[in-house]
Amino acid sequence: MEMRRKWMGITLTVCLAASCLLSGCGGKEKGELEDSRELVLYTWDSMFPQEVLDSFEEETGIQVIYSNFDTDETMLEKLAQADGGDYDLVIADDYIIESVIEEGLAQKLDKSKIKNFENINPLYQGQFYDENDEYTVPYGAGIPLIVYDPEAVDFEIKGYEDLWNENLKDSVALTANYRVINGITLLSMGKSMNEEDASVIEEAGEKLKALAPNVRMIQDDNTQNALLNGEASVAFLYTSQVTKVLSENPDLKVVYPEEGLGFGIMAGFVPSNAPDADAAHQFLDYILQPETGAKCFDEIGYYSTNAKSDEFLENSDLAVPDSVSKGEIIQNVSEEADAAYNKNWTEFRAACD
Amino acid sequence: MRRKWNRWTFTLAPLYVFTLLFVVGPLLYMVAISFASNKEGYGVIWRFTAENYKKIFDPVYLETFRQSLKLAFTSALSIMLLGYPFGYFMARLNSRWKNRLMLLLLIPFWVNSLIRLYGWIIILQTKGALNGVLLNLGLIEEPLKMLYSYPAVLLGMIYTLLPFMILSVYSSAEKMDWSLVEAARDLGANEIQAFCSVTFKMTLPGLLSGMILTFIPSMGLFFIADILGGNKIVLVGSLIQDQMTRGSNWPFAAALAVALTILTTLIIYLYRRITHVSELEGLY
Amino acid sequence: MRKHKVRLSGIYLGLVLLFIYLPIGFVAVYSFNESSSTAVWKGFSLKWYQALFQDASMAEALKNSLLLGVISCLAAAVIGTMGAMGLIKANARAKGVMEYIATLPIMIPEIILGMVFMAFFAVLRLPFGMATLALAHTAFCVPYILTMVKARLAGMDPALEEAAMDLGASPARTFFDITLPLVTPAVLSGSLLAFAMSLDDVVISIFVNGPKINTLPVKVYTQMKFGVTPEINALCTIMLAITLLALAGYSLIRRVRVFDKKKEV
Repeated sequence: MEMRRKWMGITLTVCLAASCLLSGCGGKEKGELEDSRELVLYTWDSMFPQEVLDSFEEETGIQVIYSNFDTDETMLEKLAQADGGDYDLVIADDYIIESVIEEGLAQKLDKSKIKNFENINPLYQGQFYDENDEYTVPYGAGIPLIVYDPEAVDFEIKGYEDLWNENLKDSVALTANYRVINGITLLSMGKSMNEEDASVIEEAGEKLKALAPNVRMIQDDNTQNALLNGEASVAFLYTSQVTKVLSENPDLKVVYPEEGLGFGIMAGFVPSNAPDADAAHQFLDYILQPETGAKCFDEIGYYSTNAKSDEFLENSDLAVPDSVSKGEIIQNVSEEADAAYNKNWTEFRAACD
Repeated sequence: MRRKWNRWTFTLAPLYVFTLLFVVGPLLYMVAISFASNKEGYGVIWRFTAENYKKIFDPVYLETFRQSLKLAFTSALSIMLLGYPFGYFMARLNSRWKNRLMLLLLIPFWVNSLIRLYGWIIILQTKGALNGVLLNLGLIEEPLKMLYSYPAVLLGMIYTLLPFMILSVYSSAEKMDWSLVEAARDLGANEIQAFCSVTFKMTLPGLLSGMILTFIPSMGLFFIADILGGNKIVLVGSLIQDQMTRGSNWPFAAALAVALTILTTLIIYLYRRITHVSELEGLY
Repeated sequence: MRKHKVRLSGIYLGLVLLFIYLPIGFVAVYSFNESSSTAVWKGFSLKWYQALFQDASMAEALKNSLLLGVISCLAAAVIGTMGAMGLIKANARAKGVMEYIATLPIMIPEIILGMVFMAFFAVLRLPFGMATLALAHTAFCVPYILTMVKARLAGMDPALEEAAMDLGASPARTFFDITLPLVTPAVLSGSLLAFAMSLDDVVISIFVNGPKINTLPVKVYTQMKFGVTPEINALCTIMLAITLLALAGYSLIRRVRVFDKKKEV
């Protein structure tokens, strides 16, 4: 009996020690909070040049805490769990921001605190996710394009339809977004990327399956490497990847598909219960400055959404091409349509093997 | 006859408490979600439905399970062929080399698993090292397209999971009483007979647990199918990943995970029936 | 004859180890590549190491990861070792079921686990940060230690402990003098593996980390989305080099000790 008590004592001590350790760490975290003002920035990795963050810290004395997520969905879920708190500023994709605003997780911007709001290129305003521009500041836009190696492809590629060409057997690299790939199939059929009609989606699924023999790989990250290391001769790439691949190999040819363009906008918003919304506004205003904005767009390789930044861009390709106005944005569709797109996608990938 | 408590019972307390709180709790939540309804756009609605489970039986998704099982089986089998001799030989070394080898097996785990796979890309890519060697030796004239294929994914699986097989075979063989083998030899069995009648039987639990440890994860390691397979091979794990992210249909993802867990449980149950041991040997 | 056999098995062991280290070797070599592409070798350069050392957030993330690994391994070692002993020696209800459930965290796809952990912690109103990370990591570290220690105990001769107790040693004394030394190798190798798993985990950590805490794998993973820069190769090379050096040092010390002991024998 005595023994057991002694053992209990040891166990308890160990458990206590462990919990002390745990709580000790938690405590330290909180202690750091009170020191100075902080801006918790939540976005993908590498979305800002270090020098912009540094100079912001220097000018305002606000320390930037850069927190990363991997996908938009992770961000939304974490934000929902935190009830719109924890983070001061989030930068994410258009379609997810629509959900964020619907869920009441974003707060209206106080435009009096963002003097540079007028610098935003109006092309990117009034979009479906924020029709009255109350919640968001666009930060970079993307248009997925076809890039190919003219030495490895013996005909001229003009649009999506050419990806089905039988000369491209096992040589096409695709990005891995199911809506985008379904979308370009629909565009090649002369339909909308946001088609809701079940029979049309099914038709697109059949057409997509016919693309399978040409597919070399489907990947969301670093797809451009397939072109550089000779794994694929044609690739359908996101804008940042197009920028990157051209800087490595300028001989590659870029195609603005004739059937129409899809585009996406990234934007920043302030969560509904942001600990320091003021700091977030200050930061938004800061990156909307023409020169700062240009530095950012040069770094991330997306099209500039800041009209005043265009002239400062080192990479002038990142200024808005005129054709952008024709672009279509992928939006959230009904659950049935979404399930059908998902099914198309799974069938397509299984057919690729 | 059964003694109810003894002085060791309380050592189970931390495990029981922790497991009940932080494993059972989350798992119940997973099961709950799998019966909830998907909300358009984002999140779940807490309205009971069995629709998510019905959806698994859609031919498209059944096919994914079939393909995934096939790959898991192939990789577990290849890993066994490669790993069993390793674990066996390792157990026969002296203790100094045993420890060294153990460390050498564990160290690669310290390198980020994605990075290790990128190492394979450097080797296998069309302009990569292996093609370079083969071209220089004059064995091939055109570089081979080795990446983004079934064999490449298989290689990735073998590479990632091999140590688990080795360690479980090893721990089983290491505990073995080698005098039994000698006894068999003394009784006139030749080396092969002795191996089959004694060694193999005694290491069977380790071998089978190795099979389980490699088989089950092979269905979930979606990043291998992504990086080395170019996403052309769809694993159950990739499907779950899809549904959790862009597909944003959590209830379906949870239902898939529950199905996978049930499948796992069945396999482990079978294992226990076959080997009559209640614990998996070696590592999980 | 015997020597011949030893050599053959040695060759086999060597070949498999080569297979395991080959890709890691290439990663290390290409961390010195001038070009950021792995398709070409443009000459020797240390620039990626330079870039790495200037990256303060990397060091911070590494610190967090090591701390997290140590905390969760320690907690898991206590829970796992005690649990394994209980599972072998105690009479308790539902042992088998409990053991099975305890090992589920490494059977279920990580992304699901990450999601349910996050939701569950949110229900418990735990603030996301080091504590939630440590709880989640402990959950998937326990199975490694539990099963390794249990396998070790299952093969152990219970007569040893009984003899000690018959000779009048208290259970605590028996534990510290007999049982613990016997299971230590299993606890250590289980912890090593668990630590490595904790150091490699991305998916679960992304879900349960706090707004101000980044772990190294999360940082590496989210960075890789934007291209695998040799900076990450450099980081892995350094970590590998440190581990190998530490081990070499350790085995050197041990060899000296073993040598001393041999003289005694």
